[in-house]
Amino acid sequence: MQLQQLGTPLTLLLLAVFFGGTFLISLSISRKRENADDYMTAGNHVGFGVSAASMTATWIWASSLYASATSGYTYGISCPIHYGLWGALMILFIYPFGKRIRTLAPHASSLAEILNARHGTSSQLILAGSNILGSTLSLTSNFIAGGALIAMLSPLSFSTGVAIIASGVLLYTLWSGLRASILTDFIQVCAMLGAVVIVVPTIFFAAGGPAIFEAGATHLTAEQQSFFSSEAFLNQGAPYIAAVLAYAIGNQTIAQRLFAVRPDKIKATFVTATIGYGTTVIGVGMLGVLALYLGVEPMNGDVNNLVPQLAAEYLGVAVLCIFFVMVIGSMASTADSDLSALSSIMMTDVYGRNIAASDRPDPRLMLLIGRATMIVATGAAVYFASARFNILELLVLVGAIWGALVFPVIASFYWNKVSNMAFTVSVLAALAVFFPVRFGWIALEGPVAFVSDLLAVIGVGVIAGLMAFGFFGPRVGRIAGILAAIAVLPFGMGFLHEYTVLTASLLAYAVSMLLCVAISWRSSEDFDFTRIAQATGRFDDGEDFDLAPVAATQGRPT
Amino acid sequence: MTNLALSFYILVWPMIVAIVLGVLVRAFVSELRAARREGRPLI
Repeated sequence: MQLQQLGTPLTLLLLAVFFGGTFLISLSISRKRENADDYMTAGNHVGFGVSAASMTATWIWASSLYASATSGYTYGISCPIHYGLWGALMILFIYPFGKRIRTLAPHASSLAEILNARHGTSSQLILAGSNILGSTLSLTSNFIAGGALIAMLSPLSFSTGVAIIASGVLLYTLWSGLRASILTDFIQVCAMLGAVVIVVPTIFFAAGGPAIFEAGATHLTAEQQSFFSSEAFLNQGAPYIAAVLAYAIGNQTIAQRLFAVRPDKIKATFVTATIGYGTTVIGVGMLGVLALYLGVEPMNGDVNNLVPQLAAEYLGVAVLCIFFVMVIGSMASTADSDLSALSSIMMTDVYGRNIAASDRPDPRLMLLIGRATMIVATGAAVYFASARFNILELLVLVGAIWGALVFPVIASFYWNKVSNMAFTVSVLAALAVFFPVRFGWIALEGPVAFVSDLLAVIGVGVIAGLMAFGFFGPRVGRIAGILAAIAVLPFGMGFLHEYTVLTASLLAYAVSMLLCVAISWRSSEDFDFTRIAQATGRFDDGEDFDLAPVAATQGRPT
Repeated sequence: MTNLALSFYILVWPMIVAIVLGVLVRAFVSELRAARREGRPLI
């Protein structure tokens, strides 16, 4: 197979233009004296266009593009929808909870900070710790994807690629934090979405157009040709439904954009990002379906090579450059969001609300901590990337762990009887059940399998109930949860425990819900939610900042 | 499913992406103009 390559000078030129351009954009909004709150939330007043673009760009990352194509290649024509639709709904389903969170804490910097105001330190640090783990793994995964892409499409090595990507992202994010991240996201989303508009049809027609389906039908099984493939649903769709709320609640990058957007634009932002993410990822997933029809064998047996492989085979140099920028853009936009999220958590949850809790936090020290966090996180991610750990599997694991947090976190924002004890005990107990099941330390047989299936069915009810609750309120939520559990009961019993990954997630939902409700039910706690707004955000309300760009003010007093 | 329908299924996603991109660019330009008109930073 003849694969097109870009050559070292062209690759370096593209990277220089991409990262140089984003750096200049970041420079144009930089301030000589950054404001610590704006560094984390961009002023809580960002408009629809920038917010929706940023939310879309952040949620699309290189791994999701590759994984969507892999799902299409593995399970056939319906699977990119199972991948992209549920991933997109992760954004949509956080919207109603996001509105509630912004009402309770208009100026918060992180979800964990709100939990600190609601419950105290232990709950805050459980969420913040999981956020740090998730963002570090996500950062590493993006560096690996970038390094692998550069190694495949150019003569440059994987390590060189990782080093260039890491330096480029750090360069433009370091000074202005989230403000730089969300503004550059707009440029990156234009590159990504524009590339999908051009690359997918170009590969389709270059590979033979509609005739592909006639000549290649023999490469597909009946399941792969079906729009209603149960294999595709059970292996891709169902585990994703379980993860929908978990990722949205556990991921600080989404929360940070929720705190940045103008309150009246939250709905428009979330809906647009849902459609933008879904269609982009499903569109790239169609490349996997095309690869299946074309009978493409993934290079070195690695299905992650499918998309770059198709691009290298069917695209000319010009469109290949567009494809290259698309993947670099998807990776950089998520990586800069991860850096901003990590810095925000360290600034707020570690320093602002704990180390400096008794004194007034120093905004300048906060900024220093934020920037130092970005440098340390980049170094750690480059190290992990060079070791080539299977990061994606770890990230999926973290996503499943977040399942233990979903019910206690959401309940804490609505139910005044949830105490710190209820939160902490329910999360830790759910994790204690999750790990042995997920890693097969407990054999799901006999009575254990029966109890596991019963709890898993309750877990299905919890997920359905929470989804309905967000949009339609507690009554509909309870009814939807009970109906979903009853509907799944007949075929879930004796069946669900065979899918341990799915079962472990469902058990986490069920156990955390049962314990959180049981402990809170008789609790004397009567939390006043208005206290949250006063106890969150506003670390830096001193002298206002200089609005002029650094470039224009160097050497002059501001 | 016919070849035509499958072709549409493959190509409809980039078409929707193009519409979303148009919405985002239009909103961004409008916000940028408003910010310049009012003399405040976009972010």
